[in-house]
Order: sequence, then structure tokens, then C-alpha cells
Amino acid sequence: MIIRGGIVYDPANGIYGDEMDLFIDKGRMVESAKGEEIDARGLLVMPGGVDAHSHIAGKKVNTGRIMRPDDARLGTQPRTAVCRPSTGYTVPNCYAMGYRYARMGYTTAFEAATPILEARHTHEELEEIPIIDKGALTLFGNNWQVMECVRDKDLSKLAAYVAWGLCSARGYGVKIVNPGGGEAWGFGTNVKGINDAVPNFDVTPAEIIRGLAEANEMLRLPHSIHLHFNNLGKPGNYTTAIETLDMLKDIKPSRMRQVVHVAHMQFSAYGGTSWRDFESKAPVIADYFNCHSHATMDMGQLLFGSATTMTADAPLEYGNARLTHNKWSNHDIELEESSGVVPMAYFRKMLVNAVQWAIGLELALLVKDPWKVLMTTDHPNGSPFVNYPEVITLLMSRPKREAEMATLHDQVPKRTTLGSIEREMDWTDIAIMTRAAPARILGLEDKGHLGPGADGDVSVYDLRPEEVDTSQDHVLVKKSLATAKYTIKGGVVVSKEGQILATPPGRTFWVDAAVPQLEADRLMVDLEEKFARYYSVQMANYAVQDAYLPHGKAILAGLPILSEVA
Amino acid sequence: MRNITITPKSAFPISVEAENISPDKLAPLTLSQIKSLIVWQGNRQRTLSALFVIEGDDAPAKAEELTIRLSGDFSQVKRIAEGMTAGVVLVEGSVGMHAGNNMKGGLLSIAGNADDWLAREMRGGKVVVMGNAGNYLGGGYRGEKCGMRGGEIEVRGSAGAYLGEHLCGGSIRILGDAGDFPGAANQGGTIFIGGSAYLPGAEMSKGTITVKGEAKVLPSFQRLEIVQVDGLAFQKYAGDLVDNGKGELLVGVGSS
Repeated sequence: MIIRGGIVYDPANGIYGDEMDLFIDKGRMVESAKGEEIDARGLLVMPGGVDAHSHIAGKKVNTGRIMRPDDARLGTQPRTAVCRPSTGYTVPNCYAMGYRYARMGYTTAFEAATPILEARHTHEELEEIPIIDKGALTLFGNNWQVMECVRDKDLSKLAAYVAWGLCSARGYGVKIVNPGGGEAWGFGTNVKGINDAVPNFDVTPAEIIRGLAEANEMLRLPHSIHLHFNNLGKPGNYTTAIETLDMLKDIKPSRMRQVVHVAHMQFSAYGGTSWRDFESKAPVIADYFNCHSHATMDMGQLLFGSATTMTADAPLEYGNARLTHNKWSNHDIELEESSGVVPMAYFRKMLVNAVQWAIGLELALLVKDPWKVLMTTDHPNGSPFVNYPEVITLLMSRPKREAEMATLHDQVPKRTTLGSIEREMDWTDIAIMTRAAPARILGLEDKGHLGPGADGDVSVYDLRPEEVDTSQDHVLVKKSLATAKYTIKGGVVVSKEGQILATPPGRTFWVDAAVPQLEADRLMVDLEEKFARYYSVQMANYAVQDAYLPHGKAILAGLPILSEVA
Repeated sequence: MRNITITPKSAFPISVEAENISPDKLAPLTLSQIKSLIVWQGNRQRTLSALFVIEGDDAPAKAEELTIRLSGDFSQVKRIAEGMTAGVVLVEGSVGMHAGNNMKGGLLSIAGNADDWLAREMRGGKVVVMGNAGNYLGGGYRGEKCGMRGGEIEVRGSAGAYLGEHLCGGSIRILGDAGDFPGAANQGGTIFIGGSAYLPGAEMSKGTITVKGEAKVLPSFQRLEIVQVDGLAFQKYAGDLVDNGKGELLVGVGSS
């Protein structure tokens, strides 16, 4: 396949809006090829979009669907010759997830939180999401085995458990959600800071995070730890964020990447002592990221309208349910996690929501290096992913931001700095935040760029970057980004002008990390006791079988000596 | 005024989804255009004229000037008058499920019985049923916080379970009995039940429910004084206290 004459943004390869032809052969980018020609003359061309943090599959997503038939009816589309039926807006069905990502020019999305015990369900849904490539991060932050290893300061056993857990869950990376808090929630309480002891375990959130970060680097995993802070969603929580980040700055990364990726930073950049004096501390957080290079973040942008909050942070969801008097699902996952789901609506005239909206944008605009900030909405917590074009245009257009701010609660300019921010992002920034950076942060070498050997994932938009004024013509930009002219996945045109043309199955990436047999054997003694005494399933039935990943793609990692021998 | 009469050609063993039978949809069309409108029967698309005989005035008119007369048995025809904003729909027999969904104005009059979900999420207008109504009369869509928000429903017979579920406004008047849980999660509407009711107002936070006959009242309602309304004595309750409710429940005090 040849993509002719596009204006290409491929920041990972130092290409910033050059007119060039692209070639794809056997699903990969190559130097030259023959075959089908796509006319992209003068149009915006980028690698396929990569979403590093989105809740697209698994038990809590399905709980959201079950709780929200009212949401299911919002996005119904009948089947076509190619597509199966679509339903839902904040919690779409599996098919709609794939079609909607593809229509926007996205070709990869990662599910952000899966307990090992429920990973089988996650993979059943991931397999049903058509077109896009996927992966799932595995939850470790409230796991008994993890906390015991941390308590015993047994780092090599912890690394062995992380490797075993990732393999059992067919997971891609280490996700940590409100470490210790989920376990404390089992006793009706929460941890209040990173040095607050977890009930019955004699460890602190700080120790859990540090332990997992060290194990993560010991195993040379492609992705760093992926962290949802303690105290998330509470006024004044920016101090917890800074304290946590600072504690990790001396850890040495095992690969060319960050040591910690912060999930949905917006929810952890809050000042004030209560919702009454709630204010943005985004400038403080952004300043920290500007001065340090061990951390990256995704925005977790909030947009007005309907959302469904879902997280392993169960005490947070209890708070949400009490605040909104809305439906609430609360879940305990044996020795591993807790979780919750609450439907939500965000309003322009509600000061707290308006300030939250501004904080996400402030974070992205104030952090100078776009490689450190990913564009996300923490789908569907801040807003469904179909609204990414809205977020991108807000970042690219100050007039749009000002027009939006005029419709908000009048206190917003006093509680945030958004009004004074002049920066307007360009296509290079956007290509980094939605393509190159998420791929690099996740450690996906063949994603997010268009160099030879990369996956043949390309999106072509009906926009002429050399002509369109992204600051003024934000309506046109948003419309064009919402529906790619062509989305090409693995060398196949999957979507053309919003119409899905093909639905190849996507791959599911997971990480197989090698550990010394001695450590694995030591771990087994602990695990056999846990399964015998506590788990509701037998160890033999625990791990996800390969049959659940017919399109699985294992990425090897592990202790350096062993992987070299192998 | 424009009149259109629609009559089924035969009984429908498989139900028909006919959201196109509403004044708003038919008013701007000529009779021949109306005949070619699409309805679904089961999983098959049919034209309106394949299933119904359509007669009446040919010239298009505004919805408020249109009267649609449904003659014959429509008990297997669903979604009639869905989303109507003006005009009149007169059903001479009984009507199927989901009639008057999301209705915003005009009059839907049913001479026979109505099936479940009549006037779900109604916003305005008036619905009159001479016979009985099914379950979830004036109810909410599954999962929504608000069902009916405005308008008026009158049923001369009885109603099924969950009438006015998640009611947020408007009024419902039942002359006969109501089934289980009338006015569940009422948030500000008015319900009058001429006969008896079982566990009215569960989880109600606002609004008024009056039961003239007997009612089994939930223990989470606070018993207040006896009040006189239109010369009749009613026991007044406040609730539902499980939801910190400020709703008002009146239950008739028998002559005994």
C-alpha cells in the first residue's frame, strides 16, 4: 500500500509536517512497496492513535453496562454488512469500542485496570473488541502477596510474584490503584496518606509503591509502574501527589523511559481544604514535571456531560455515591482489590466540575514537554473517549477555551490559571500526546511512529495542516478529527470517512517476564498456602489460559542475565 | 381539520413496531407517502400499507390539525404516538406496549385497554384510557433517574404494577385499583388512585400520592394527622424515610 503526498507528523522519527509518501507491506511500514494507493495529498497524516489509559474491558466496565441501560440506548446503531450492532455512550458494547476508536484514527488502546482474578473476563471482552490492538494493565497495589513481600523486604520474591501475576493475568504492566486503600476499604476505612499503615499488614502505601517500582525495574518491564495516587479526587490532594513522586525520583529506570506513569493526573491536582475552597494546583504539579524527568502523566480530562466513574479505588466510589445519591456498585476481589462504579454527570455551572475541567487543560498546557503528558479522558471517568477531538481542539485553540470559559461558573478564573495560559498546541504536540508518547511510555516499540518496521497503522484526516488555522477553525478541526478520512490498521483500510470497511481482529499484548527458578519456587510455597486457605478458586484454575488470547502477542522481559541466556 | 383512519388488514400474530403512527410523522405527508412509511414486524421491514388500510384526507396539514383514528385491534401494535407533540390519536380498541412514549403534547385517547409502559417518560399532553392500563404506566426507562416529567394521564379502569415509577412531574389519575408499588421513587409528581394500592410511594422523595381506598403502607412512612380533602377523611403519612423523603401519602379512612 502507498499513501501518497500526505503532510506527515511522525515526531518519534523527527518528521514534523513534511510532505512524503508512506509505504506499507505485509502490515508493516517499509521503505517502498506496491499495491493500493491512498490519495492523501496535502492532508494531515499521523501514526494510528494510541490510548494508554482507558477502561474498555472487564468486570467493572460490564458492571457499568448492567447498571446503565439508560446509557446503552444513547448510542444504538444497527448492524451492517460489516459491523455488528453498537450500543452505549459512556459504556459502549465491545464492538462499538473498536469501531469508534477506529473512526477517530486510533488503532491501539490499553485497558487500565484488571485484577488477576478477573483477567479472564477482561480478555473475553478484549477479544471481542474488533480492529484495535489492545493490552491490559494488571492491578497489584492492594494484593496480599505484594504487601507481604514488601513487609518482609523480599524484593526478589516480589519480582517473582509480579512476573507470575502478569503471566497469570496475561497482563501488560503493573497498575497500582490507591495502594493499601483498597485493602483498608475491606475494613470500612481508607489510608489517608502514603505513610499511613495498611490495617493488618504493617506496610505503608509508600513502601508498596516503592517496592513495586523496584520490582518493575528489576524485571525490565516495557512499561513503568502505572499509578493512581492515594487520596485521589479529594481537595488538597496535590501534596500527596508531589510526596509520592518525590519518593520515586532516585529509582533508576531499566529502560529508556519514565520510572512512574501517573494515571489521570487531573484527579490528583486539587488544592483547598474542602469542596468550598476547592482550587487548582495544576501549576504546582506542572512545575514538578517540568523540573523532573522520572515521571509522566495522562491528563484524565473531564468534560461536561455524562460519564460513568469506575475504578479499583472503592472508597472513592463510596464518596461519589454519597455525593450524587446515584446508583453505586461496590465490589471486593478477594485477596487482590476492591472496586466501585457510579454513574456521573458533570455540569458547567457547578464550580467544582468547572474547575476540574480547567485543571486537566492547565496540566497539559503548563507542562512544557509534550512527551510527558498524554491526552486522555480516563474513559469513561472524565468523559467517553469519543470526545477526544473536543479535548484536542481545546488544547489547540485559545479562542475555544475562552468561549468555553465564558459559559462556566464565574469563579473559575479565580480558582485556576487557565485564562492566562496563551499556549496553543500544534500538530507536533498533538501527534506526540496521542501517538508517539503513549507508545514510548507503554514501551511499544512498533507503535506510535511510521519508521520502517513499525506497525502499518496510519490515520489520514481531511484537514490541510498547511492551510487550516487550528486556533480559529476549531469547529472544522474537531469535526475532522472525530472522523478520520482513512484509518489504516496493519495495512488494511478499516475505516473510511466514518464508515467501517473491515474488522480484522486486533492483537492483545502481554508481558512474559523471566525470573530465576529459585525465586519462583520460593514464591510457590506462599501461593499454595494462599490458595489453600483463602482463594475461592484453585490455583490450577486461576491463570488465564492461552485459549482466551487467540490473538495474543507475548513480549519478553525479565531479569537481564536470564533473558540474555535465553 | 384533517382526518386519517388506519385499520389493520388482519390480526398480527407477530407484533408490529409502529412509531411512525403519530401526528408529527403523518401530518406533512400525503396519503400515498403515508402508505409507504416503514414499520417493523418482528425482524422484517414492512410498508404501512402492507399491514394497514389507510384512508382519509390527502392534503398535508399541521400536526395540531390532524386526528388519527385507529380502528380495530391495535393490541399487538407497539409505540403508537411515540414522541407526539400535537394533534389527536383516537384508539377505538386496545393498544399495544409503549404507546405515547416520550409524548410531549396533544391527546392520546384509548377506548379499550392499554398494555405495559403506556406514556413512558411523558413530557406533556394528555392520555386517557377508558379501560385498564398495564404495568409501568407513566414509568421511566430502565436505569434513568426520571420517568414522566409532565402532562396528564387518566385511567378509568385499573393500572398494573409500578405506575408512575420514578415520576418527576405531571399527574396520574387512576379511578380503579393500582398494582404493587405505585409511585415508586416519586420525585415530585402527583398520583391519585380511586381504588386500593399495595405499598405506594416506596423510596419517594417528593410529590403526593393519594389512595382513596385501602392501602398497605410501608413501615418507613411516618404516620401524621387525619386530614379532610373534598369532604373525605384521609390518613396522612410522610416518607419514604429510608430515602429521607419529604413526600406526602394520603390514604382514605374508611367509613367504618
